[in-house]
Amino acid sequence: MKLIQGNEAISEGALAAGMKFYSGYPITPASEIMHYLAKAKQIQFINSEDEIAAINMAIGASLAGVKAMTATSGPGMSLMQEGIGYAHMAEVPLVVVNVQRVGPGTGMPTMPAQGDVMQVKYGSHGDYFPICFYPSTVSECYKYTIEAFNAAEESLSPVILLCDGYVGHLYETVKLSETKFELKTRAKKKLGEGLGHTTSLLNKNGVPNTKDPSLYEEYLERAKKKMHDAAEKYKFYEYTKNENTRDLIIAYGICARVASAFTDKYSLFKPVRMFPILSEEIEKAAKEHDRIIVIEMNAGQYSRMIQSVAKKTVHTISVLGGTIKPSKVKQALDALKQQPRS
Amino acid sequence: MVDMTCREFLEYVDLDRERIWCPGCTIGLMFKQIAKAMTELRIEKKDVVAVSGIGCTGRTAGYCSFDSVHTLHGRAIAVSEGIKLANSNLKVLVISGDGDLIGIGGNHLLHAARRNTNITVICNNNEIYGLTGGQVSPETQTGVETITTPYGNPYPQINVLGVLKSNKKFFYARSTPMHLEHLKNVVKKAIAWDGFAFVEVKSYCIENSGRRQGFKNSYDMLQTLKKYKIVGEKDDLNEDEIGIAKREG
Repeated sequence: MKLIQGNEAISEGALAAGMKFYSGYPITPASEIMHYLAKAKQIQFINSEDEIAAINMAIGASLAGVKAMTATSGPGMSLMQEGIGYAHMAEVPLVVVNVQRVGPGTGMPTMPAQGDVMQVKYGSHGDYFPICFYPSTVSECYKYTIEAFNAAEESLSPVILLCDGYVGHLYETVKLSETKFELKTRAKKKLGEGLGHTTSLLNKNGVPNTKDPSLYEEYLERAKKKMHDAAEKYKFYEYTKNENTRDLIIAYGICARVASAFTDKYSLFKPVRMFPILSEEIEKAAKEHDRIIVIEMNAGQYSRMIQSVAKKTVHTISVLGGTIKPSKVKQALDALKQQPRS
Repeated sequence: MVDMTCREFLEYVDLDRERIWCPGCTIGLMFKQIAKAMTELRIEKKDVVAVSGIGCTGRTAGYCSFDSVHTLHGRAIAVSEGIKLANSNLKVLVISGDGDLIGIGGNHLLHAARRNTNITVICNNNEIYGLTGGQVSPETQTGVETITTPYGNPYPQINVLGVLKSNKKFFYARSTPMHLEHLKNVVKKAIAWDGFAFVEVKSYCIENSGRRQGFKNSYDMLQTLKKYKIVGEKDDLNEDEIGIAKREG
C-alpha cells in the first residue's frame, strides 16, 4: 500500500505499460507527472522547449519504435492539437495526458475543470475519431494509463488520457500491484527496419496523393472502422443501477466521485471511455430512467453529446470556477426534482 | 578526380516517385550531393533516417529510398530529437527549407543547437516560401519584393551562424548548389560531426521569387552564387564566404 497522487499514478502506469520516452513542458496541474518521470532512469526524458516540441518529439520516439507519452493541461493541449492530428493521419501510437484546469486562455491555472471535453474530441482539424479514457480515482489513473497505451498500440493512434486537476492532485492509498493488466506490443515496424516513408499527407502506402477525393473517402472509412474496432475492446464504464429510482446521474472524473454520494437516491453511470462515446450503453441506461442529469465541470460540453445518444432531454448541473461542493450539487439535484420528467 | 559516371548514389534515391520540383530548381542538385556524401561515407540504409518538414525542400524525405519522415511544418528538428533519443544508433538527417527550419521551426533550431543533439540539419535556403507562392521568409534579403512585401522586405535576414555560434560547441557549414563538390564535402563533414551540425545551402527560387525580382531564368540566378569564395575551415565566415565554421567546445 502506498499513498500517492493521481498524477504519480499516471506516471507509474506509464512505466508499467513499458513507456520508454517522455517529453513534456511544465504546466499546472499536470507538472507532477514530469517531476515523477524525470527521476525514472529506465526512460529517455526531456523537458522540451514547448508543448509543440513535446508532442513532436514523442511522435519521433514512437516512430523509432518505443512507447512514448506527453502530458499537459488545456493551453498545452491546444498547442499539441496539430501534432495529434498528424499522429492520427500518420498512424503514430502514443499517449497524451490532459490534466484539465479552468480556461479559456490562461484561465484559472491552479483550479480544476473539465473544460477540454470538446477539445479532446474535435480540437485538431479535419475528421478523426479519437479514443479517450477518463479515470476518477488514483488507482484508475494507474489502470487506465496502461490501457491508454494498449489502446494506442491497438489503434496506432494518439490516445488521450483525460484527467482533472482534482483527480490529478488527489492523494489516495492504493495497492497498484493488485491491478491486473496485459500489455500490447507494437505491431508496426520501426524506423531503420524498413518502415518506409511516413507522412501525414493523404497517401497510399507512403506515396502522397493529394488530388484524389475517392482516396480520401476510402481513407476516412478505413480510419473510422479501425478506430471503432479498436475502441470496441476498451468499453470501460461503471453503471450502478438503483432499482428504486427513475433518476440517472451521468458523471465522470471527480464529478463521478461526488455523485457516488447520492447513489442511495439515484442511479449512476460513470463513463471511463469518453470517446468514442458509449452510445449503446448510455442509451440503454437512459431508457431505464425518466430523468437524466449530467454533472460536469463545464457549461455542458458532454451533456450535449449525451443528449444526442440518450435521445432524451438531459439536465446539466454545471460545476464552475474550479471548486466542487457536494452540498451545492445536492442543492442543484433537489431543485431538479421540481422539473417535470421526460 | 570526380567520377562523373558514378551512379552509386542512386541507391539512396527512390526514382519511382514523381518530383514536385520546378524546372530550374536546385533542390535536386542538393539532394544528389547529399546522396553522394552518403555513398562516400558508406552509410547503410538501415542506419539512417531522413526527416523533412513542409515546403518544397520538405518533400525531400519522400524521395529517399531509406526510412524517412515527412513531419508537420517546422517540426522536423523536434521529431528528429525524439528519434535520436529513442534510438541513438540511427543517423538522422534533417533536410528542409529556411521557412520551415528557421521561420516556423526556429525555436526547435535554437534549442536543438543548445542541447547539441547529434543530428545533421541541411537547410536549403532559397530565401522564400516557394511552395505557398513566394511569401517573405526570415532569410529574404532586405528590399526584395515578394508577394507579401510588395514594397520591398523591410527586415534584415536572420544570422543563423551568429545564433549557432552563441553555443559553446557548434558546427556550421555554408555552401551552394553551384559548388557541388564543396557542397558534398561539407555535408560529409557535417554527418561525421559528433553533435549538432547545420549546413546552410544558399540557393534561390526562380519560379516564385526570381521572376518577381526580374530574373529571366534559373541560369541567371545561379550566377548570383558566383560571389561566394571557398575558404575552408575557420572560426567564423564572412557573408560572401562558403566553408565551415566550428568550435569543438
